[in-house]
Amino acid sequence: MNAQFRPSSRRPGALKRLIRPLVKPDVFDFWASHLHRTWTWERPLARLVAREVASADAVTLLFKPNRHWAGHRAGQHVNLGVDIDGVRLTRSYSLTAPPRADGLLPVTVKAIEGGKVSRHLQSVARIGDVVELGPAFGDMTLPASPAGAWLLLAAGSGITPLVALVRELAAQDMPVDLTLLYWVRRRAEACFVDELRTLAAAHPRFRFRLLLTREDAAAADEAQGRIDDALLSAHAGDLAAQQVMACGPGGFVARARDLLASRAASFRAEAFTAPPVTVVDEGEVDLRLLRSGRTLRVPRGASLLDALEQHGLKPASGCRMGICNTCACGKSAGSVRHLPSGALAHEPTQALKLCIHSAATDLELDL
Amino acid sequence: MASLSSMKNRKLTAEELDRFGAELDALRARTVATLGARDARYIRNVVKAVRYANLAGRALLFAAAIAGGLWLADSAVGWLFWVLWALGALSLGLGKILDNMELGHNVIHGQYDWLGDPQLNGRTYDWDIVATAENWRHTHNFRHHTYTNVRGLDDDIGYGLLRIFPEQKWRPFYLLQPAIAVVFALYFQWGVAIQNLKLGRWWHGKMTTRQLRHKSAPVVRKMGRQLAKDYVIYPALAGPFFLPVMLGNLVANGLRNVWTYVIIFCGHFTANAETFPKECVKNESRGHWYLRQLRGSSNLRGGFLMNVLSGNLSHQIEHHFFPDVPANRYAEMAREVRAICARYGQHYNTGTLLTQFGQVCWRIVRHAFPSRPPRTASSLVQAEAAA
Repeated sequence: MNAQFRPSSRRPGALKRLIRPLVKPDVFDFWASHLHRTWTWERPLARLVAREVASADAVTLLFKPNRHWAGHRAGQHVNLGVDIDGVRLTRSYSLTAPPRADGLLPVTVKAIEGGKVSRHLQSVARIGDVVELGPAFGDMTLPASPAGAWLLLAAGSGITPLVALVRELAAQDMPVDLTLLYWVRRRAEACFVDELRTLAAAHPRFRFRLLLTREDAAAADEAQGRIDDALLSAHAGDLAAQQVMACGPGGFVARARDLLASRAASFRAEAFTAPPVTVVDEGEVDLRLLRSGRTLRVPRGASLLDALEQHGLKPASGCRMGICNTCACGKSAGSVRHLPSGALAHEPTQALKLCIHSAATDLELDL
Repeated sequence: MASLSSMKNRKLTAEELDRFGAELDALRARTVATLGARDARYIRNVVKAVRYANLAGRALLFAAAIAGGLWLADSAVGWLFWVLWALGALSLGLGKILDNMELGHNVIHGQYDWLGDPQLNGRTYDWDIVATAENWRHTHNFRHHTYTNVRGLDDDIGYGLLRIFPEQKWRPFYLLQPAIAVVFALYFQWGVAIQNLKLGRWWHGKMTTRQLRHKSAPVVRKMGRQLAKDYVIYPALAGPFFLPVMLGNLVANGLRNVWTYVIIFCGHFTANAETFPKECVKNESRGHWYLRQLRGSSNLRGGFLMNVLSGNLSHQIEHHFFPDVPANRYAEMAREVRAICARYGQHYNTGTLLTQFGQVCWRIVRHAFPSRPPRTASSLVQAEAAA
């Protein structure tokens, strides 16, 4: 997932191109924000305009983007940069609807134990607060004219990109056979259920099942149990004909892949990775370099700069002791260890100095 | 002079040096652990101060230009022109000083990278002077801060133009340096801008003209932008009364140049500041690196205003110990740094702006003439006892 914030690639107007060399974007943004909180030269920002309860532990937030937001497709995600105590923290959230007529961006946020950003968005953020938007990203999107049978498998927060696909197909009057299987632990945690049931009633080609892992099934469209062959066969019909998309925690997606990847017509999945529980300093991790698209195996104990140089790469560097900031580089996922102090840093998106940090988990770097 | 400072400093054993470094590392860790909302608020207030000072400066200079027009018609409003013009130039100069020192210099060090704010990021930030931030990151953040006052590695020693230390080889050219130093102060931003181009190498034929042209392209572009902004576009906005605006901008840039020159020269060229031979940095320990930073740097005594206007380079020692710690923390770290230096018998070089700059001026005048380094070679550490 790319956590960088880049201005939209739309070609600016003639006037803007003419005065571009004369404008310092940060100065422009400073004064423009006095007139309107989300007016900027080119940065996509959005204002929180509404908050609705989505389930026992989730809220849906509606954001109004400024004109630099380049749009999204149903099933895609966006990085939100949220200021908490003056510090910008970035998290990826799925947009839960296809582009809306009012232009608002809906995001459903589930409270995560110890989650700084989710807790902030749930209870601290006020209407009118401004967040920074990254460009929309993600490949779990539908073709221009979908056909055949589609099977969507969601677990927990994995419902958020998939409900956008359901809404998009419903808006097209359900041109395909669509099945959504949605796993939650308890009924109260499920989001969008009333709407999904209404859609299922209105569109005969849409089948919706709520699967509970820690409660007994009660309603006719409910069932009990974790994902397995029997549940899939019972509720999803002919698996060989299905184009499958799965989204949820890593374990769920891995099981879905085992069960379906070789049998279904197609299989696409995205997993939400859980924060690391234990960290060891031996062994190797995967280092993904986002700009060059390479993935390297690097040892956990070594400084990232040394590790990259071992692979023949030459990232910009200077003092090699953490003072000159030449090797500073954006990180968009994973945990690192600050070698001088031994402290661990888990914040997924932050700048780090390659020469004095080592990888603690798999990492994504902006190199 | 240098021998004096060595006399004030106790020679440390290798073990003491390690503990000295460890205590400073611990101070750094304690400070970094408490970074948060307060520091975020501080740097954003500095941004605000820069924006408002610049706006006030530009507005006052336009007002002065209009008053100047009226003055032509009615000689009674002459005083109004001068008041508006002086205030405008001062305010713009203040904005440029803050942008250069407390905002630009510190942000480009990456001191506020942890905020995650793309507009306050050390890798991408650019400032309102002709020097490119890109070159500055190399000459200053890397060369100067890693090899502080190491002869042959830190180009900031005299900027290849002045002889500040007796260890620099004397040439007759240096007889002119008292005058050159004044001109250099007035055009300091230009000196900083061309520092990384290494014109000397081109002059001596070690770099082709083609290479130089390639290297200087971004600098020339930045120079053009800066010149156009302050001497064409803003004056043009005042139409026929462009001259007061143009001159006000010139004075504001000049004020910033002289002030930054004074502050920066006081940081490393006072009487007790030392320079070091290249051998010094081979396999250098953390403690030794800290000690070298201490011996090569000097502070300025003063209150809040001095700290802000100097970009907290009034705490040059703390800045050189912790170049990536937010500068607004230096004042409180200084108390502990001072105590640590005292415990290890190390001189903490500080003084008022007047005395420190007086010492700098003396060096510039004294070493214009032939001079010899003191004979006692000052090694920083106690020689290992023969086993």
